Amino acid sequence: MDMISINLNGERREIPASSSVVDMLELTGAGRQQVAVVVNERIVRPDERATTILRENDQVDVLVFAGGG
Amino acid sequence: MDSLQLGSYEFSSRLILGTGKFSSTRVMLDAVRASGTQLVTVALRRFNREQAEDDLFGPLSEIGGITIMPNTSGAATAREAVRAAHISRELSGSPFVKVEIHPNPHHLMPDPIETYEACRILAGEGFLVMPYIPADPVLSKRLEEVGCTSVMPLGSAIGSGQGLSTAEMVRIIIRESNIPVIVDAGLRSPSEACAAMEMGCDAVLVNSAVAVSSDPVAMASAFAEAVQAGRRAKLAGIMPRSGSAVATSPLTSFLGTAS
Repeated sequence: MDMISINLNGERREIPASSSVVDMLELTGAGRQQVAVVVNERIVRPDERATTILRENDQVDVLVFAGGG
Repeated sequence: MDSLQLGSYEFSSRLILGTGKFSSTRVMLDAVRASGTQLVTVALRRFNREQAEDDLFGPLSEIGGITIMPNTSGAATAREAVRAAHISRELSGSPFVKVEIHPNPHHLMPDPIETYEACRILAGEGFLVMPYIPADPVLSKRLEEVGCTSVMPLGSAIGSGQGLSTAEMVRIIIRESNIPVIVDAGLRSPSEACAAMEMGCDAVLVNSAVAVSSDPVAMASAFAEAVQAGRRAKLAGIMPRSGSAVATSPLTSFLGTAS
């Protein structure tokens, strides 16, 4: 299987080529979480995630709400 | 009914609770319930599957009657704060944002210039903008003019427990402001929250004082009662100070006058 390397939450990560954002979320264990996804500084909304294909060296952030004041 | 109006939202509780620093999510949720708060702050964080319990959105949503106000903590510039606000709105659906820009981790004092710029942009985009600011009456008016929903001057440094050290400046802000004034940061005890409300603050935002107490649930309840007491006292009209004694009992002599 062809793999690509992305930067996920600040760390390099190998994922199968042609992975969508939905695929990536499943791989990272965030598939069932309510998360925000940002790819190359662009917010990827839930209805765009299945059709947004990740590419080599994409900068991906997956974010949740944690405690804060 | 006396309610706190923030944009089109009405809240019967005037206590806003932060969700950081609690020993566990369960304790935080119990404290939120005990406080009676209807508005809580949260922070964005990168997802970590090893710490899935960090994700508070679901548990807070299950409480019911809670509105989420994401903060922009971690932002050192207006640009970063605007970006954080956009991401948070996508995640929460809430129009509220607590603009919090503090570039120096040693004192966590808000940057007034970057804060002003971020607020100007976000208010223009329709956010309900609640900036954490230095207790500066001039900045407060400027933020009101650009469309902020409230201003949130600090009582003292974040997490310091130094109380309402800015009281005299906050009094000026309250006197001049046409939008709600909420003391945010530094409060240590319920009596300080009560004093802020008696002074005329519209609400207080508390986090560390509850979260790091020995019994956060009991402390959340104590803050709730103090905020209510302070608000009722303010509405009831607190007596003026007098420079001299004013008797509460008749002073006319009657002992020994009967014959």
